[in-house]
Amino acid sequence: MRRVAVIGVGLTRFGKHERNSVELFAEAARDAITDAEISPSAIQALYYGNVTGGEGERQLHTSPLAASLLGLTNIPTTRFENACATSHVAFRHAVMEVAAGISDVVLVGGGERVLHIPTDHATEYFGFCSDASYEQPVGLTFPGVFALIARAHMEKYGTTEEQMAHVAVKNHRHGVHNPKAQFRKEITLETVLRSAYVADPLKLFDCCPFTDGGAAVVLASEEVARRHKRSIWVLGSAAASDTMFMHEKRDLSRITATERAALGAYRQAGKGPQDVDVVELHDCFTIAEIVATEGLGFFEPGMGGIAAEKGWTSVGGKIPVNPSGGLKSKGHPIGATGAAQICEIVTQLRGEAGPRQVEGARVGLTHTLGGNTATVLVSLFGRD
Amino acid sequence: MTERVITLKSFFEEARAGRLTGIRCGKCGELAIPPKEFCPACQQRAWGPVPLKGEGTISSFTIIRVAPRGHAGEAPYAVAVVKLAEGVSLLGRVVDMPLEALTVGLPVKFRPLVKGEQTVVGFGPA
Ligand SMILES: [Zn+2]
Repeated sequence: MRRVAVIGVGLTRFGKHERNSVELFAEAARDAITDAEISPSAIQALYYGNVTGGEGERQLHTSPLAASLLGLTNIPTTRFENACATSHVAFRHAVMEVAAGISDVVLVGGGERVLHIPTDHATEYFGFCSDASYEQPVGLTFPGVFALIARAHMEKYGTTEEQMAHVAVKNHRHGVHNPKAQFRKEITLETVLRSAYVADPLKLFDCCPFTDGGAAVVLASEEVARRHKRSIWVLGSAAASDTMFMHEKRDLSRITATERAALGAYRQAGKGPQDVDVVELHDCFTIAEIVATEGLGFFEPGMGGIAAEKGWTSVGGKIPVNPSGGLKSKGHPIGATGAAQICEIVTQLRGEAGPRQVEGARVGLTHTLGGNTATVLVSLFGRD
Repeated sequence: MTERVITLKSFFEEARAGRLTGIRCGKCGELAIPPKEFCPACQQRAWGPVPLKGEGTISSFTIIRVAPRGHAGEAPYAVAVVKLAEGVSLLGRVVDMPLEALTVGLPVKFRPLVKGEQTVVGFGPA
């Protein structure tokens, strides 16, 4: 297999937009192509991620539409949907296409727009990512899924609501320095702890927001990447799945797909958690960050809450997590999130992250989780 | 194949009548909630239906206060993962119990919640 590099990244501002999700992706892709300093005609395939376009925008067949908006013709296009992990899944497939020698340059990313529809509609559409027979009719929501996980983690390890609140405070503090972030405002522990319950024990400020946005990445073969000074290598990209059903999870306090995807990515890269300098992980809810820092091997099971409380995951701490502000502060346009995390890690490894730069970062990791913890992707990146 | 297959439809038809049905692997004894083609433990295809008593304890729960469209009038409501006495778990709506009385480990018993054509798994006091 050939080595693969990221040669360009692009991201829209995250927040509310008037343009549709394909337009948002096209804007990000335009910036990624410009950043890569290539001609659009160099792109040989397009991998596009979107989740709710069918329900929220009455639009399917979105990958050739994305190519059309970009002015790209005659290239194969594919649309991916794996809940919130959508564009990270697309990324892994794009990496495989370049690694296999099928294409030398591939464009991958995603777009999502949900802020134009009422919150209960968006909650329903996101709920379509859980099972339609056993889960949706019960009224389980995504905050509900992670509330079940949070309760199990609290029971097993004594994790507290205050420890979870520390995750939100830290990610908002990071997000202040991200000009693309949806919420660039510090919050206090009291703000989180006094916010209303959405799904006990999770409160409003434990939850990431609904977000519109787009993100894109240009991948290239080693031969092409060698001509670019700011290339960042893909050291590994692994996917794992777990049962969709909450009733089949053997231990609700763990996300085993994260553990297995991490193992795969570390093995491909010949690295371990101790080698990672900077992390963008899937903090859709504060408990999700705590469980992920354990599953990725940064802390022992049960230590994730303590790590958050002690500041070990802050920029300047033992292992900086979500310098972008994470899903919590930067925002979570679900079809674009995986690619957006990759944009941040590439920016960090290039040393171009400005006031939120993790000094001397050489190896970065992205982790994206989809649905009822049934899809997890982990990728590792490194600079020369 | 003459085996009796439990489909989603038949699981919920049975549930509507108050009966929970699991499937047990004839090769290794693995118990599962249908439908499932291959046994995840031994990869064989030798399922047989097995009645479940519907008795269990709450292994985790949440109180949904922001509901999706279609459930808006029902909030706040409790959802729990219940570990049944036979060893498998099932997700359900908790009913007929004060929300503040819910705890992990609390015994509960299955009851069908019938909403028009739809049957939803519910759990009430044991
Ligand atoms: Zn078996």
